[in-house]
Amino acid sequence: MEPILSARNIVKRFGGLTAVNQVSLDVYPGEVVGLVGDNAAGKSTLIKCISGVYQPEEGEVYFQGQRVHFARPIDARKAGIETIYQDLALAGNLNVPANIFLGREIKKAYLGGVVHTLDEDTMLRESDKLLKDLEIRFPSLHMQIDKLSGGQRQAVAIARAMYWNARFIIMDEPTNNLGVVEQRKVLELIRRLKAQNVPVILISHTLPDVFAVTDRIVVMHRGRKVTEKRTADTNSEEIVRYMVGALDDTRATA
Amino acid sequence: MSKRFVTLLILSLVLLSIVPFAVAQDAPAKPKIGFLPGVVDPFYQVMEIGVNEAVADFGLEVVTQYPQTWGPSVQTPILEAMIARGDLDYLITAPTDKEQMIAPLQAALDAGVKIITVDTFLGDGDYVNGPVTFPISYIGSDNIEGGRIAARALAEVLGGKGKVYIQNTNVGVSTTEQRGQGFKEGIAEFPDMELVGEDYNLDDANTSVEQTAAKLQAVPDLAGIFGVNVFSAYGAGNAVKAAGLEGKVQVIAFDATADAIQNLRDGVVTLVIAQKPHDMGYLAVAFAMADWRGVTSIPKHVTTGYAVINAENVDDPEVAKFIYQVPGQ
Amino acid sequence: MAAESQPLAVPAEKSNRQKQVILAVSRLWAWVFLVGLILFFTITVFSTSGGDVNFLTVRNSQNILMAITPVLLMGLGQTFVIIAGGIDLSVGWVMGLASVISALVIADFTNNRGMAETLAIPLGFGVGILSAAIPGFINGLIIAKLSIPPFIVTLGMSFIARGISLLLSGGNVVIGQPPGVRAFGNESLFYLISGEGGGLFFLNRPNVTGEVLQRLDRILPWPVVVAAIVTAVLLFVLHKTQFGRHTYAIGGNREAALRAGVPVDRHVIMLYTLSGITVGFAGVLHTARFNGGSSIAGDPLMLSSIAAVIIGGVSMFGGHGSVAGTVIGALIIAVLTTGLVMLNVLPFYQFVVVGIVVILAVLIDQARDLIIGRIESH
Ligand SMILES: Nc1ncnc2c1ncn2[C@@H]1O[C@H](COP(=O)(O)OP(=O)(O)O)[C@@H](O)[C@H]1O
Ligand SMILES: [Mg+2]
Repeated sequence: MEPILSARNIVKRFGGLTAVNQVSLDVYPGEVVGLVGDNAAGKSTLIKCISGVYQPEEGEVYFQGQRVHFARPIDARKAGIETIYQDLALAGNLNVPANIFLGREIKKAYLGGVVHTLDEDTMLRESDKLLKDLEIRFPSLHMQIDKLSGGQRQAVAIARAMYWNARFIIMDEPTNNLGVVEQRKVLELIRRLKAQNVPVILISHTLPDVFAVTDRIVVMHRGRKVTEKRTADTNSEEIVRYMVGALDDTRATA
Repeated sequence: MSKRFVTLLILSLVLLSIVPFAVAQDAPAKPKIGFLPGVVDPFYQVMEIGVNEAVADFGLEVVTQYPQTWGPSVQTPILEAMIARGDLDYLITAPTDKEQMIAPLQAALDAGVKIITVDTFLGDGDYVNGPVTFPISYIGSDNIEGGRIAARALAEVLGGKGKVYIQNTNVGVSTTEQRGQGFKEGIAEFPDMELVGEDYNLDDANTSVEQTAAKLQAVPDLAGIFGVNVFSAYGAGNAVKAAGLEGKVQVIAFDATADAIQNLRDGVVTLVIAQKPHDMGYLAVAFAMADWRGVTSIPKHVTTGYAVINAENVDDPEVAKFIYQVPGQ
Repeated sequence: MAAESQPLAVPAEKSNRQKQVILAVSRLWAWVFLVGLILFFTITVFSTSGGDVNFLTVRNSQNILMAITPVLLMGLGQTFVIIAGGIDLSVGWVMGLASVISALVIADFTNNRGMAETLAIPLGFGVGILSAAIPGFINGLIIAKLSIPPFIVTLGMSFIARGISLLLSGGNVVIGQPPGVRAFGNESLFYLISGEGGGLFFLNRPNVTGEVLQRLDRILPWPVVVAAIVTAVLLFVLHKTQFGRHTYAIGGNREAALRAGVPVDRHVIMLYTLSGITVGFAGVLHTARFNGGSSIAGDPLMLSSIAAVIIGGVSMFGGHGSVAGTVIGALIIAVLTTGLVMLNVLPFYQFVVVGIVVILAVLIDQARDLIIGRIESH
């Protein structure tokens, strides 16, 4: 089977620091891939190279068999890749619907399409429906993001990624700010996506979660991919050893 | 909304409805004067002294407002607020632009306030045959004549011969351009005097220092410099001092501000040409009073002349009174 | 719906109401302050003049509207720019540039090329506005593409505009305008001859002289009409359209806007161009009102325009503010100037008061966030 997403030999440097060093990653249809590693391993940088935030210095990205160059994040979104960023990437001064629809606002046309206004009612209704589907409740969707709790913000970021019926979803530590109940909801969500044949890359520090939902696990250490295992074939103990650098497949074969 | 706020609102509305009746009074026997100079500076402050003296002598009332910066954008809103008072009969003003202030001052006249211009004028300053005739009079200095006086005074110091140079401010500023022009005309009266150049320092003393220093290098036998305003003369004088040429190169300054007089005392400048803002202020009020009394032969244009101040006469009270000095400042 | 299955802290009913009150006060204080100022001047001007002078008159209301026109127009584009986290320091001299160029074009086409003034004036105004839009566009281009701080770029542009306008005008006021220019800048939509029984209303300037002329008031001068239309359009754009939404988003979190798909660079370029356009309107209206083009038209007004924006509640950190706020800010400054002149107080006090109001505006903003933060943490 063809991978739906394939990143090959990605290199990304920040000045003298090589944050991502020759990393390749394939994701097959309907697959959930866990991406783990210690802090500063380069996980977030890698997925930003895929989602168009960064342009990798070396390497290629293929999506649905096509070579793609995402010059800006919107290009990746247009291609059907939605990303929940670790820092959430929400505008704190805007309310919930404004954030969910940011950059893709629903508009109403007047005067034969000469004038467009924001269709606030529809965006509010859609946001409400979406958050209800995700079983996330808010005191008021009119509240500014700045005035929401960390968990609520996380929910908005997740909802935004869900709305667009993405063909591919990247989640960078999506359960970070969440309580136990909501964490479980996110895992359910990932399973539901898998059932709908939507592949997911999940970055997480919570290994039990990773083991609970992923098909494969990729481990990064200091910018390099040190191993890739079928979830069924490994255990947390082994993964942790890869994460801390005690094990390294590339070194073994080199 | 609090109850107190509502009460206050109602009170003020009641007050406002009484207003129209309260204003319907008989016209006062004496005119009320407005004074609106071009900008806040010592020249106009001395003019204000003249205005106030005349106002006291005639037993009038005056309303004075100063724009904080030069220009119609700033002067006009103040003008309109003064006119909106509705109680002024005359406005003594220095228009900040001879073209742009025509419309606002015409509107003031339409509202019933007669105009006298001081220091600066509207149109070409000829209120008899020129494009603008509505002001009662223009009282000011003749800047071309001022330039000529500067040239003659410099010639006298130099014995009628030598190379001279002009430190000017900006192209297109009518007063300083006219001073430069008059100076050139004055120099032309002396066959042994030669103008070797004119530079524009953009009203910046540092630029004036640089330009003058360069000129002193290029023309070693330079004898005199005309600084068309305080900064120009100050820069020129300092460049002369720095080159150790004090006494050898004469510097003439226009406008007798405290700074200019200090430069004179410090030996940086040789002569100061003083305008007579006090006279302008006093005369303007006198003209307003005359117009009020029905006098019809008020001169449409009065030039107030100059005084030449040098190190010898600067302490003579007859000359010192022309220094732009505001008591208590 | 709020309370039912909410796992996260729901503010108690009482603190919620407190919060609403504080939010309302912080939003409305400028209006209250403006009304207070008008009342203050109405009473003090009347009483200190022994009843001779009235502040609240038809004529004065029109004066104040005329006085805010350039400051407001300069402030409107600035409102967008600052909401998006930028600043445009070039507005003063760019306004002068627009004034000079519009006057040059009108003078040239009517005097040298025999164009009818009904064509030459719109042409000149159009070119004038364009000549202000171009520096704005260049500002935006450099800020967006080269990531140079807006403060520096627009300061540089300010000098460039100043130089070009002085060069083009030779430092002089550009004159030779056909009569329609002055008429547009000084005539109005309606006229009122006030008097007993309320007064007479006219659509065209009545031909009156003498004592009746003195009672003739211009109602809604054309520059005010133009400024009102521009304000209405921008009010709509900022608060009702995607363009406005993106402006807030960029000011709130530029990176988030970028990742969400807002075309940030293009938007920033458009914002500075917009600022140039509103400044261009101010410039051509100066030409009309003062019957000539002047390079120094805008410079003395720049700080007032920024003060108006801040008083109106636009955060210098970006993300917050409104068009209505800027209108109020401009009105507060104009009312202060006019009121103090009518009180015959030295106008320099105006600066002190404006300064206090600017600082007050920012303090009120911060106090609001502080108090609300405290309520929420309880
Ligand atoms: N924009 C950036 N500029 C400079 N260095 C960066 C930048 N983003 C990430 N880094 C560095 O790259 C390395 C990898 O970071 P990151 O990808 O965020 O790691 P992870 O997500 O695995 O914790 C870190 O050392 C981090 O400091
Ligand atoms: Mg990370």
